[in-house]
Amino acid sequence: MLTRRSALGWEFWRRHRWGFRAIAIYFALIAAIKLVIVIRGVPVVFGSDVGFAFAVTVPITVSFLYVLAVFTYGLSGDLAARESMYPARMFTLPLSNAALVDWPMLYGAMAMVSLWILTRWLSAWPSGFSIPYVWPATLAAALVMWTQALVWLPYPLPGLRVIVAVVVLCVIDAIVLLAVYSKAPEWVVVVITAPQIPVAYAVGRVAVARARRGVAPDWRFSRAESRVMRAERLTHLSAAEAQTWYEWRRNGRSLPVWVAIILPLELLLLWVAGTSTSLLIEIVLGALATPIVVATFAAVSVSTTGGSTSHLHGLPPFIAARPLTDAQLLAAKLKMTIRSTLVAWTVVLVATPVAVCWSGTWPTLRDWARNVAATIGAPRAIVLLVVIVAVMVLSTWRQLVQSLYFGLTGNDRLIKGSVFVSLLLASILGPLAIWIVDSERVGVIWSAMPLVLSALVCAKMLAAGWVVARLVRARPLTDGTLVMGAASWTIAVMALFGLLAWLTDAALIPRYLIMLVAILSVPLARLSAAPLAMAQNRHG
Amino acid sequence: MADSVIQIANLTRRFGTRTALDSVSLSLPRGAVYGLVGANGAGKTTLIRHILGLLKAETGSVSVFGLDPVVDPVGVLSRIGYLSEENDLPGWMRVDELIRYTRAFYPKWDDAYADELRQAFALDRSAIVKTLSKGQKARAGLLVALAHRPELLVLDEPSSGLDPIVRRDILGAVIRTVAHEGRTVLFSSHLLDEVEEVADHVTMISNGRVLLSAPLEAIKSSHSVLGRVPSLDEIFHTRVSDRGV
Repeated sequence: MLTRRSALGWEFWRRHRWGFRAIAIYFALIAAIKLVIVIRGVPVVFGSDVGFAFAVTVPITVSFLYVLAVFTYGLSGDLAARESMYPARMFTLPLSNAALVDWPMLYGAMAMVSLWILTRWLSAWPSGFSIPYVWPATLAAALVMWTQALVWLPYPLPGLRVIVAVVVLCVIDAIVLLAVYSKAPEWVVVVITAPQIPVAYAVGRVAVARARRGVAPDWRFSRAESRVMRAERLTHLSAAEAQTWYEWRRNGRSLPVWVAIILPLELLLLWVAGTSTSLLIEIVLGALATPIVVATFAAVSVSTTGGSTSHLHGLPPFIAARPLTDAQLLAAKLKMTIRSTLVAWTVVLVATPVAVCWSGTWPTLRDWARNVAATIGAPRAIVLLVVIVAVMVLSTWRQLVQSLYFGLTGNDRLIKGSVFVSLLLASILGPLAIWIVDSERVGVIWSAMPLVLSALVCAKMLAAGWVVARLVRARPLTDGTLVMGAASWTIAVMALFGLLAWLTDAALIPRYLIMLVAILSVPLARLSAAPLAMAQNRHG
Repeated sequence: MADSVIQIANLTRRFGTRTALDSVSLSLPRGAVYGLVGANGAGKTTLIRHILGLLKAETGSVSVFGLDPVVDPVGVLSRIGYLSEENDLPGWMRVDELIRYTRAFYPKWDDAYADELRQAFALDRSAIVKTLSKGQKARAGLLVALAHRPELLVLDEPSSGLDPIVRRDILGAVIRTVAHEGRTVLFSSHLLDEVEEVADHVTMISNGRVLLSAPLEAIKSSHSVLGRVPSLDEIFHTRVSDRGV
């Protein structure tokens, strides 16, 4: 029979056992490899830091983040909501506030410290780095406990939790990094990190006590008049427009809001970048890439339609019973993604020039732009800039819609599996690209590129053919819509091909290669499959 | 039947190895209050989901207003008012937004009637749906289901877990709906006394099979013994034990 404390621990294990098992298997593999090395006495030497990062750093970092998310109850609930993310159902358990805080915090801290002990034991090989013993453990415990406390605290404004958590955790990290860069002895860093543990615990106690009593101050000022005006506007909407409004209110704002939160933090770097042209360009490109990166994560919520946690992925009856066709329900979602992309990019295209001018970095960037214009010609430079921005805008939209198929199926396993695969690919692609460049295999990869791209195009067209056959059979779309879709896709591919062909040198990159890239760049199969997924979700 | 709102023929539905509906055939006459009764898990909600087109018939056919609800959701759903058992109204909407959002889908929406219902149900326009009590949410759901004066009102377990006052509101609304304009109500419940109060026609369902489907008066008179008319509850239990289900 479970005791109270083991029941709380059992719940963590039961819900996340597959994740914990994956981490255990990874560490067991690393330990086995280390054992072989110890027995054979032959050290493993990585070709580069990237190889080390690929095999060790990335999986371990992912493990730490996963454990952090599990023990904060951060994998369920709304991070941007005012209400505490501590599961409300647990407030009805016959447990004191102290018990509700103590055990999750203790389990979280123990898990993070255990991860560190394993990491420290294993990472002594093969990096050859000088690795500290104690302070990372105290830092890991402090970070998980701070995150728990800040996530469990009710806030007076929506979204405030994210800002407070980012600021607090960044400040803690910055102080520790400063101490490390200053080559402070280990005990100094321990003195900085260890006292934060009781402070985080005290904040956690306050957080859970307030959440349990339902204390959540509301600083939102009354907007009765604007609400009435907003509701009045709704009165004149058509059914399709009303559904687009629903999608926008439910999912469309997350991308622009997150971009608006993250972008200022990135643009602040312009003030400390000095006059280094390359650094300034990296910062500006980073800012421009923000919507694309954020869209990758926002896509998960965009593809859902559920109005409640019980219908997070499936279509709730309230929406499924709207007198709209499947195509109209899907069209509302697509319109919302376009609007969301445009609003996010309006934020970027307004904030970035303002920050560049305000920070005084404009003259440096202007000189660089003049050099580029002088090299490739002013018209080509202008077109190149427009194309880069347009491609980034389209990439943002593509990121939002490319997982639409998975989300619309309402299949929980498929959705979580696609998210897992996306994260895996995202964590692998960077190191893999650097490894290819470092290992001087670029030539081999480049010569194999036509074959690889042709295979990918074949796979894409086969998938598209299968989807079209099912669309024709199931008829969720009219013939006219199908023809329009096919024509739009062809025009988009030809336009992209023409643009890329104009911008590149035919002697350097063959035209057929550009055509393959154009075909692969414009979404087809998964986007075309979205109506099928919607029909499956709606009609079982 | 020419004057049937719903025609279901040999409908069978399986979820994995479990048979949720087993050769169900029904014909729902226009202008009646139709009670669908059965224990939890009997298949009532699955049947209703087929009627709404939220499940596609694997075997058999479903026709509502002479249309296939999966093929023509607009034609069917625009004539139906539906209150879900799950009460899944979007929690982030305000009551006023919910009313105006729903209004956009129904050309026959009656603003005066909607306002009358809102006042009768004591719903605050500016209240956020997720802050409403369970009973208030049920009233809000009922309001948006009724305000376009649907030809067919589908209530899926509308009163389970609700207090007697809300039940009275719901039943009152059902009766008013029927009294006005001779429209049709399909009303599922496991509370047989509740169905007995309002239904003209009753279908008993158990383990996905229809045990009995007939006008309430006919059911009662056919089960009366020595002048004693049994309650619907007694009849249901007799039928279930007779069928060994």
